[in-house]
Amino acid sequence: MYETIGIWVAAMFTLAIYSFLYKENPLYRLGEHLAVGISTGYFIVLTYTQVLKPRLIDPVFQESQWILLFPAVLGLLYVTRFFPKIAWLSRYPMAFIMGTSMGVGFPLSMKASVLRQLEATILPLYQPGMPWQDLAGNIVLVFGTLAALIYFFFSKPHKGLFFGTGSKIGVWVIMIGFGATFGFTVMGRISLLIGRVQFLLKDWLGVIH
Amino acid sequence: MKENIWGRMLNLDRRWIFLFIGVVCIVPFFVPFGLPVIPTRHVISIFDYIEELGPENAIFVSFDFDPGTDPENMPMAVAITRHAFARHIPVFFTANGPLAQGMLESGFAYITNPLSEGYFHVVSWSEWASYREMGITDRSELEAAWEADGHVLPDNAAGWVFEGRDFAKLGYLPYFSLVILGMTSSIAAQYPEDMNGNPLVEMPMLQEHKNLREVDLATTFSGTAACTWWITFGREKIGLPVAFGVTAVSATDYTIFIQSGQIVGQMGGLRGAAEYEVLLQQRGYFDKPDRAFVGMDVQNAAHLLILFFIVLGNIAYFAGGFHKKGVLLKGRR
Amino acid sequence: MKRTVPLMIVLVGGVLMMIQYFIPHRISQSVFDSYTTWIPIIGAFALILGVGSLTRLHGHKVRHRAPNWPYSLAVILSIYLMPVFALLLPVSVGGGMNSPSVFDFAFMHILVPIQSTMFSLLAFYIASAAFRAFRAKSLLATVLLLTAVVVMIGQVPIGELLGSWFPKLGLWIIDFPNNAAKRAIGLGVGFGILATQLKIIFGVERNWLGGVGD
Repeated sequence: MYETIGIWVAAMFTLAIYSFLYKENPLYRLGEHLAVGISTGYFIVLTYTQVLKPRLIDPVFQESQWILLFPAVLGLLYVTRFFPKIAWLSRYPMAFIMGTSMGVGFPLSMKASVLRQLEATILPLYQPGMPWQDLAGNIVLVFGTLAALIYFFFSKPHKGLFFGTGSKIGVWVIMIGFGATFGFTVMGRISLLIGRVQFLLKDWLGVIH
Repeated sequence: MKENIWGRMLNLDRRWIFLFIGVVCIVPFFVPFGLPVIPTRHVISIFDYIEELGPENAIFVSFDFDPGTDPENMPMAVAITRHAFARHIPVFFTANGPLAQGMLESGFAYITNPLSEGYFHVVSWSEWASYREMGITDRSELEAAWEADGHVLPDNAAGWVFEGRDFAKLGYLPYFSLVILGMTSSIAAQYPEDMNGNPLVEMPMLQEHKNLREVDLATTFSGTAACTWWITFGREKIGLPVAFGVTAVSATDYTIFIQSGQIVGQMGGLRGAAEYEVLLQQRGYFDKPDRAFVGMDVQNAAHLLILFFIVLGNIAYFAGGFHKKGVLLKGRR
Repeated sequence: MKRTVPLMIVLVGGVLMMIQYFIPHRISQSVFDSYTTWIPIIGAFALILGVGSLTRLHGHKVRHRAPNWPYSLAVILSIYLMPVFALLLPVSVGGGMNSPSVFDFAFMHILVPIQSTMFSLLAFYIASAAFRAFRAKSLLATVLLLTAVVVMIGQVPIGELLGSWFPKLGLWIIDFPNNAAKRAIGLGVGFGILATQLKIIFGVERNWLGGVGD
C-alpha cells in the first residue's frame, strides 16, 4: 500500500515537472519549491544523525570528550552571521577551515592535477609492437597538449612558427575535445530521460518488464 | 525574415521537437532492437580488477551523486556492488552529501529487495550476534554455520550478505574530501558508528581493514568533480587504487586519469553501466543484464533522431540562405 | 580581531598543514588525526547559515503575503516537518527515518522524482538545440560537429552495425585528441587552483572575508 501510493505520488510529480515543457504552471512551481524544502529538511536530519549525535553529543555526554566542545563552539560562530554587529566572528570558523584545507590540499593537488598529468604527457611516442593507431595517438596527445597549452598562453602574441602555428593547432585540438564532450552530453541527457520513462512505464504503469 | 519553407521549418514551435524526442524515448521499450553492447577496455579493466579480489580484500563504493543523475549513476553503483557481493568482497558504502546518502539507501534497497530476481538477502548486525559471540567471523565459516542452523536462501536470491562482514553502510559526512583524507589514517575515527548506529570498531570487516591503506579499491559514482577527491586525497596520499563511474557529461573530462594511470578504469554514463551489466552476464554472475542495458535501445533511437535534427537543421540553414544574410530568426517559441 | 586574526589563522593553519604532509612524525600525525575528526563537526554548523537564510527569505514572503507566497509556505513547512517527523514523532504517526515513514516518503517519492525529472528536461532542450543551434558555420565548427557525430554514434550499439571501426574511432578520439585538449585545460585549472590556494594562505586573496565589518 505504502509503495503503491508512493509510486502514484512520484508519477504525479514526474508529470507535473514535465508539464513545464508545455508551459510554466503552478504544479511545476510547487514541485520546484518542495524540492528545495525537502532537500534542506533532509540535510538537517542527516547532519544530526550522521554528525552531531555520533561525533559530538554522544562523545561529549557519554565519554566526556570535552575537547570536542572546541570545534563545536568554533562551528557555532557561523551563527553570528545573522547579527550584523558581531558578524565578523563568523570569519573564525571559515578561516580555520579555509586555511587548513588549503594547506592540506596544496601538495596533494599539485601531485594529482599537475605533476602526474605532466608526467603522463612525457611518454615515448613509439614502443616495439605498438599498433600504428597508438603511435598516431601518442603523437596527437603529446603535441596536441602542447599546442592547446600554447593556445591558452596569453602572455605572448600568437605569432610566428611556435606560438602562431602552435595556437592554431591548439584550437583544433580543443574543438575536437569539445565535440567529444558534446557527443557525450547528448548521451547523458537522453539517459536521464530514459530513467524517468522507465519509471513511468515499468514501475507506475507496469506496461514493460 | 525570409518566410520560405526553410524559414518556417527553423521556426517550428519547439514543443513539436519535444514531442518527437518524447515519442522516440518511449516506443523502443515496446519494440526492442536488442542490439549487443560490446564492453570497452575502460570498463573491462575495472571488472578484471574486481575479479582478482575476494573475501580477504575490501572495497569502497561511494555514492557521490544526487537524485538528479540517478538514472546514470545508480546502475553503475548497483552493478559494482552486485559484483562485489557475488564475490564476497567486503564493501564500505559512503556518500559525499546528504542526498547522496539517500541514493545509497535507495540503491541498497534495490539490490536487497526480496521481491526481485537475483537479490542479496541481508542478515543484519544483530541477527548474527550469537555467531560473533561464538567467534565465528570468517566469511565461509559464518555462511556454513548460518545455513547449518536451518536458514535457507530463498530461490530468487543470489546469496547472503552479512552486515559488518560483507558490508558496512558508513554514509555521509560534511567536507567529504577531508573525510577521505582522515580515513587514510583511520576509518573508525571518521565513522564511530554506521548509518544504523552499529559500532564500527566491532565489525570484523573493519578490524581487518582499519584504514584506506588496507583497502584494495575505491569506486566513486559521481555527477560532479567530487570523484576527483578520491584521486587527490586517496590515490595521491597513500596510493589507493580508484575507479570512476561518472555521468556521460563529465566522462570525457576524466579519461586523462586513465591514461595517466591514476584510475583503474571508468564507466561513462548509461553506456558504461550497460557494459558492466553485460560483463556480469557474460561471466555467469547473473542471467540477464539490468536496467542500463535495456535503456541502450532507447539511446540508439534517440541518438539517431538527434543526428537527424542536426542534419535537417543544417540543411534548412544553408538551403534557406540564412548563412549569407546573417538574418536572425525571430518569433521562436 | 576582525580581519588580522582570521588572516593569521589561515596563514598558520595553511602552513602547518602543508608542513605536516612532509613530516610524517607521530606528533604531526596525531594533530592531523584530531584535525580531520573536528572538521565535520565545524562544517555541520554551517548548515545553520543555509537553513537560516532560506527561512528568512521565505518567511518574509509569507508574512507579507508577497506574490506566490503559498509556495514559500510549502518550502518552510517541508524544511521543518522533515526533522520533526524523522527525529521527534513516533513511528505510529509516520515518524522515524526508515520505510514506511513520512521522512522516507518525502525523499523517495517526492524529492527523487522531482529532481530526476528536472534534470531529464535537459534531454528535450538539447534536442531542440541540436536542430536550431548546431551549425557548420565555419571549418572549426564543422570539426566540432563531426567529432560530436562520430562520438555519438560510436557510443550506441548501432555504431557497431555501421562497422566495428566506428566505435573504435570514437574511442580513439576520446583517448587521444580529447585527452590532449582536456589535459591542457586540466593543467590550466590545476595551476589556477594551486595559485589560488597560495594566495588565500598568504592573505593575497581576501574575498572570502566578505563584507561583515572591517
